[in-house]
Amino acid sequence: MRRRAWWLTAIGVLLTAVMLFPVYWMINVSLTKTANMRKSPPNLIPVDGTLAGYTVVLHQQLPYLGTSLLVGAGTVALTLVLAAPAGFSLAKLHPRGGGALSFVLLIAQMIPAIIMAMGFYVIYLRLGLLNSVWGLILADSTIAVPFGVLIFTAFMSRIPDELVQAATIDGAGPLRTFFAIIVPVSRNAVVTVSLFAFLWAWSDFLFANTLDGGGSMQPITLGIYSYIGNNNQQWNAIMATAVVASVPAAVLLVVAQRYVAAGVTAGAVKD
Amino acid sequence: MTVQRGMTVTITRKARTIGAALLALGAIAAGLTACSSGSAPASSAAGGTYTFWDPYPQYNATSAWAKLVSKCGTAAGVTIKRTGYDTTALTTQALLAGQQGNSPDILLVDNPVVSTLASAGILTTTAQNGLATGAIAQNILGAGVINGKTYGVPIGANTLALYYNPTILKAANVDPASITSWASLTAALAKVKAIGKKGITFSGINTEEGSFQFLPWFWGAGANLTNIDSPQAVAALTLWTTWIKDGYAPNSVIQDTQTTSWQEFQTGQFAFGENGTWQKALAAQMGAKVIQIPAENGGQAPVPTGGEFFTIPVQKNTASFVTSAKIVSCLSSTTNIVTTDNTLNYVAPTKAGQAAQVSADPGLSDWVSAVGVAKARTGDNLGTKYPLISQQLWTAAQKAESGAASPASALQAAQSAATAAIAK
Amino acid sequence: MKTTTAERSRARSAARHRDGAAKPAPSRALRARLRRSSQWAAWGFIAPVLIYLVLFYAYPLYRNLDLSLRSYTVASFVSGDAPFAGLANYENVIKNPTFLPALLNTAIFTFVSIAFQFAIGLALAVFFYRTFRLSATLRALFLVPWLLPLLVSASTWSWMLNSDSGIVNSFLHALGIGQVDWLTSPSWSLAAVLIANIWIGIPFNLVIMYSGLQSISPDVLEAAAIDGAGGWQRFWRITFPLLRPVSAITLLLGFVYTLKVFDIIWIMTRGGPATSSTTLAIWSYQLGFGSLLPDFSSAAAVGNVLIIIAVVFALVYIRARNRLEST
Repeated sequence: MRRRAWWLTAIGVLLTAVMLFPVYWMINVSLTKTANMRKSPPNLIPVDGTLAGYTVVLHQQLPYLGTSLLVGAGTVALTLVLAAPAGFSLAKLHPRGGGALSFVLLIAQMIPAIIMAMGFYVIYLRLGLLNSVWGLILADSTIAVPFGVLIFTAFMSRIPDELVQAATIDGAGPLRTFFAIIVPVSRNAVVTVSLFAFLWAWSDFLFANTLDGGGSMQPITLGIYSYIGNNNQQWNAIMATAVVASVPAAVLLVVAQRYVAAGVTAGAVKD
Repeated sequence: MTVQRGMTVTITRKARTIGAALLALGAIAAGLTACSSGSAPASSAAGGTYTFWDPYPQYNATSAWAKLVSKCGTAAGVTIKRTGYDTTALTTQALLAGQQGNSPDILLVDNPVVSTLASAGILTTTAQNGLATGAIAQNILGAGVINGKTYGVPIGANTLALYYNPTILKAANVDPASITSWASLTAALAKVKAIGKKGITFSGINTEEGSFQFLPWFWGAGANLTNIDSPQAVAALTLWTTWIKDGYAPNSVIQDTQTTSWQEFQTGQFAFGENGTWQKALAAQMGAKVIQIPAENGGQAPVPTGGEFFTIPVQKNTASFVTSAKIVSCLSSTTNIVTTDNTLNYVAPTKAGQAAQVSADPGLSDWVSAVGVAKARTGDNLGTKYPLISQQLWTAAQKAESGAASPASALQAAQSAATAAIAK
Repeated sequence: MKTTTAERSRARSAARHRDGAAKPAPSRALRARLRRSSQWAAWGFIAPVLIYLVLFYAYPLYRNLDLSLRSYTVASFVSGDAPFAGLANYENVIKNPTFLPALLNTAIFTFVSIAFQFAIGLALAVFFYRTFRLSATLRALFLVPWLLPLLVSASTWSWMLNSDSGIVNSFLHALGIGQVDWLTSPSWSLAAVLIANIWIGIPFNLVIMYSGLQSISPDVLEAAAIDGAGGWQRFWRITFPLLRPVSAITLLLGFVYTLKVFDIIWIMTRGGPATSSTTLAIWSYQLGFGSLLPDFSSAAAVGNVLIIIAVVFALVYIRARNRLEST
């Protein structure tokens, strides 16, 4: 048995290495001197490396990272607040027309982001949300909410009906049932949706560029993009920013992945 | 099933707090909608804040440019709120803002965009805003003149030339002064390749940069933008595709921006790099020199003008134009414009400014003479036809460079597409 | 004595276990009242999402429809009064020589992406399902590509696929294969963006399929193993069919998301050279924002064509699933 396990681990490591090679390359480029950038063939290991990229990042990019964290956290909160009750309703309360709503949510995910961004510009201008963190949170949540409702619906329909009925018979209204019974049990789904929402908000560029292009608080994607400018392309700084930007997300992933794997369930995924 | 009391209470409290925050946001949002629906926030008030948009996001609040802008604002008695946008996004931002009545007071845009914004009706003319244009060289001002009306003043001009690496040319036994036509240039490239170095790099990407870099060769063959499938145009495109085929230009030009092309030149492996005024400081650092781009059969090829224009968008409060014009004049006054243009590595748009620049840096005279023969892309009264033609031109160029079509057929398709687009 | 909800439900389930009887059914009036109030409650819980949908999805869609049904120039975009053009924009879009290549590229890009992402994601999920040393850590590491901003992933792949100084070509050169112009050749550009997109999409499929595997009761598989079924048979005859609902939703979501893919292609090739890697999403953006003179009406029309295609496929999926469930 042990020999078999060793064999599997070896294959696993090999597969992971192949999959993560671009990430390794990212780190490699972040440590490469600008003069060596176009070396052909390129260095596999950053011999003659430089920390200049990271210095630039630490001096310039930290505010962007902070904004991204804020936007990510806000998107998670907003997505949960909107999606969890809706999922509960579709799964347990069976509103008439719930099927149609599920279909509409599916359609909502089909709209290309640029169409959304153009529409948001007008709305935000009227509401004074342009170039603001709240505006970005709202926009990024549109990426996550339909998916969140889907996950919550699927997960919550697997919660035994007895639990819900027990609370109802006891006199608990739907609100109390939701907070007292459903939410604690749905911890895995909450973590899954939070993770997806955070990562999607973290990665967003289009909304940030259109709706926060001139803002004083900009997320890290715009920070990276500012290095890909007209007259300047500091690749080691760009990749260093990417590496640094990946660290909080990686930490989150390692912490949360245990819940994620158990959270997205099969079987009861119905519209 | 037991529900831990503590956890329930915590989650309930957290959920309630989040819910309350959302309600509060909703209330605020609703209030704002009620207040501001239909009316856009006023952007300028007497002695108040003026908004200033420019395409220089790389200059943050501590940069020399930002300080200059706020200085001119103070001199005009107002505070300036400056925002740097990515240049490709600035056109759309300006249009959306114009649509919603939220235009900035001063808008600095890339020169070929001026005709687009003018035709959208969001820019004022010099007659309306009182900007003076007398001292400005006509060919540089050209991009801002549409149907006889002037819509802006240039911040400076830049253009293209051929940078060369003197070390490689000496090793290949090529005299830069002998490169006066396409034939002599190609011969030089062959000699460079023979000693194992790379020939020339330029930008052939499918964006406006690609058209910009192609125009000296296009115009140098005698072609005209109103007819991009003429035999002269085909000859120009064939020059590029032959270079790529013969290995004098690398395959990467198909995807290179002017910046990546410059980075290739900086590796020191290339004899020639077609690039612009804005690289002159970096060029001096690496010891590269400049010759003018040759026309097909001798002489200097006409080169396109680059550089941004100050424009004053239309506002409800017409009294603000006076202050806006004051700010623009301050930024483009001779002393200030020399500082600005030296920072941006542009050539000043007035004779006085150019003289000041050359006296401080004699090496600039090459560029001043290049700018002297440059012409606007939207000139020849092309106006908003130019973007439609340019898009087809860069598409055709990239198609031919990548071998997807022959230069002749690519340009033919481009011409018919351009005609169709213009007719729409 | 006041009992807590928890104590009462514990007592009830204890009672149930004791005599196996169902709990007393509520009276008819109570049931009717519960049903009515529960409809109010049901819609109350959905109300925020509904308002959200109308404000943030319906409005942009409406604006897009308006843009596509009128002919907007830059001037009329600003002033707001554009002439009604009916379906003229859609006609122009379909007659445009870019339409067919864009449609074809979209189809190839979407189907090849999903096929590979799903197959590889599933294979990896099955592989990692067995617990061996480091399996949990490695599985978590596989999700790292997912958390890189797309801007970064696309830029990294552009670097790696560079014709002259890219590591992929160096590697191929070491294997004796000649230089491949990944990003600058019309024959390879679509393959290049496909590779990057598949790489980015594997973690999503891995996560969902892995959790799908977790919900399959191991008893079924054990029973089959005892009966003598081999590993491959167990997978194909038992595991895969049981995964069908998850697979279906994964493929559907994958389809919807891949149809919209924009960043990766735009950063790597901008849809070029020529139209070799232009998809409908890219073309829509090119028309609206890729030139100095935006053509919002055509961009909106192409965007709507994309949405219509997605809706059609979704309807087909639902019809097929309903038919499958009724058999």
